[in-house]
Amino acid sequence: MKPILKFDNVSKHYPNGVHALKDVSFEVREGEFVSVIGPSGSGKSTLLRAINRLIPISGGTVWLDGQAVSALRGRSLRQLRRRVGMIFQNYNLVYSLSVLQNVLHGRLGYMGGVKGIFGLYSEEDKQGGLDLLEELGLADFAYNRASDLSGGQKQRVGIARAIMQGPKLLLCDEPIASLDPSSAKTIMDLLRYMTRRRNIACIVNLHQLDVALKYSTRIIGLSKGEIVFDGPPEQLDDATIERIYGTSRENLMMGGNRDDQTDTADCA
Amino acid sequence: MTKRIPLIARDLKQLYTGFLIAAVALFIVCSFLTEFNVMTLIANGDAFWEFITQDFLPPALPKASRIPGVLDSVVVTLALAMSSTTIAAILAFFVSLFGSEKVSPFPRFAKVVRGFATFLRNIPALVWAFILFSSLGIGTGVGFVALCITSFAFMVRAFVETMEDVSQDCVESLQAVGATFPQRVSQAILPSCLSGFLSWYLYCLEVNIRASTIVGMVGGGVGLTLFSYIKSFRYDIALSIILLIAAMVIVVDQITGKLRKELLK
Repeated sequence: MKPILKFDNVSKHYPNGVHALKDVSFEVREGEFVSVIGPSGSGKSTLLRAINRLIPISGGTVWLDGQAVSALRGRSLRQLRRRVGMIFQNYNLVYSLSVLQNVLHGRLGYMGGVKGIFGLYSEEDKQGGLDLLEELGLADFAYNRASDLSGGQKQRVGIARAIMQGPKLLLCDEPIASLDPSSAKTIMDLLRYMTRRRNIACIVNLHQLDVALKYSTRIIGLSKGEIVFDGPPEQLDDATIERIYGTSRENLMMGGNRDDQTDTADCA
Repeated sequence: MTKRIPLIARDLKQLYTGFLIAAVALFIVCSFLTEFNVMTLIANGDAFWEFITQDFLPPALPKASRIPGVLDSVVVTLALAMSSTTIAAILAFFVSLFGSEKVSPFPRFAKVVRGFATFLRNIPALVWAFILFSSLGIGTGVGFVALCITSFAFMVRAFVETMEDVSQDCVESLQAVGATFPQRVSQAILPSCLSGFLSWYLYCLEVNIRASTIVGMVGGGVGLTLFSYIKSFRYDIALSIILLIAAMVIVVDQITGKLRKELLK
């Protein structure tokens, strides 16, 4: 399996003096499901957005599919972005448009300027969008306004839009942070199912440690812009968790200690 | 005597007292500077009342043969306001895209665009009309251009604010799929801001109908008709035209108000 993504000593300073990423290096291979965990402000969002250059980096190199992302501009940047799907905490849909229109936005990167402006999608794309909605259990909502959907449904539309791009890599920025527990589970299950089926590598920023432990094949722990852990979930022990979050595991888990103990047993 | 319990904090009370004294002082100074005193109105009350009761009241209708012409000028005013607002809105939409740091492909120039719009807006339409009328001559052309300039400038500001209020999240997501700037505008910004844009457009239309009667004094329409009656001292006919204008503005206000409420639902 070849690496799709490679961070080479990447760093990012914001103009306000925040040092969001410090010499971050790692690789992601095909089919991996990587969770990035860390407290707020540890650089998770910056890391994710450095990959498709929504945030330009200040040092080092991000390699995507053998291309240096930071060197790209204009057309070639857009061609790179269309191969990377992205899912957001706030779904980031255009709420006044229909669900199907939102899904088809995933094709804009492949379309000529004028066709894209007027939303003249090919019949093939439209059929693809409907099939995808069916697969995600949203077939009946294709012509609803996106604003009429519930949170979990909106995020499923977000997934459909990203998958429409035919991506090699899926970036998920806190995909379940605004969802209730049951919708969150649906979304995580769908993410795992869709990416496995299509052999898409997936990087997910997560606040929920238990979710990261359950779903990922690999966990990256960020603290103050530095990678302090990179390995399979089994190796993430209490001492490392404390190094990532700066507080003990007990303080991270809401609810009883009983669950906590079984969890610890699971990953030990 | 027992001490009374204060209801508000002492420093706040002092602040209010200070403001009151300052306002009175300012009024005295201003009256002195402008050499106008409200008292003169009361002293000259007779002349003023005479004007109101003799010249102004009761409202009189213009000659029957003139009525179609007056109504015509009302239609001209409405048409003037609508066409100038529409043209201005279309121009303002394209310019406003460059006036928001979050949307514009050249964020550094956003301030320049907004500054330019603010500058244009701070010159009232009537002043534009007087400036333009030396080059365009009296007529609806002047009114059109004057209203266009001010409502363009106003709508650039309003559209920029609308775009910044509406979440930029969907623009980010379209950027992430590799959409071009025009595609992001048409597929994300326009659909999510359209109701806001239309609402501002209707508000501007409402303002322009009022303004077009004033600007009309050099720029045609009912304003010119009103002005010609005032100049010929037919204040009673002028009053009925003022009432007509008021009726027109109220009707338009009601309609646009209803439409805006529907839009912003």
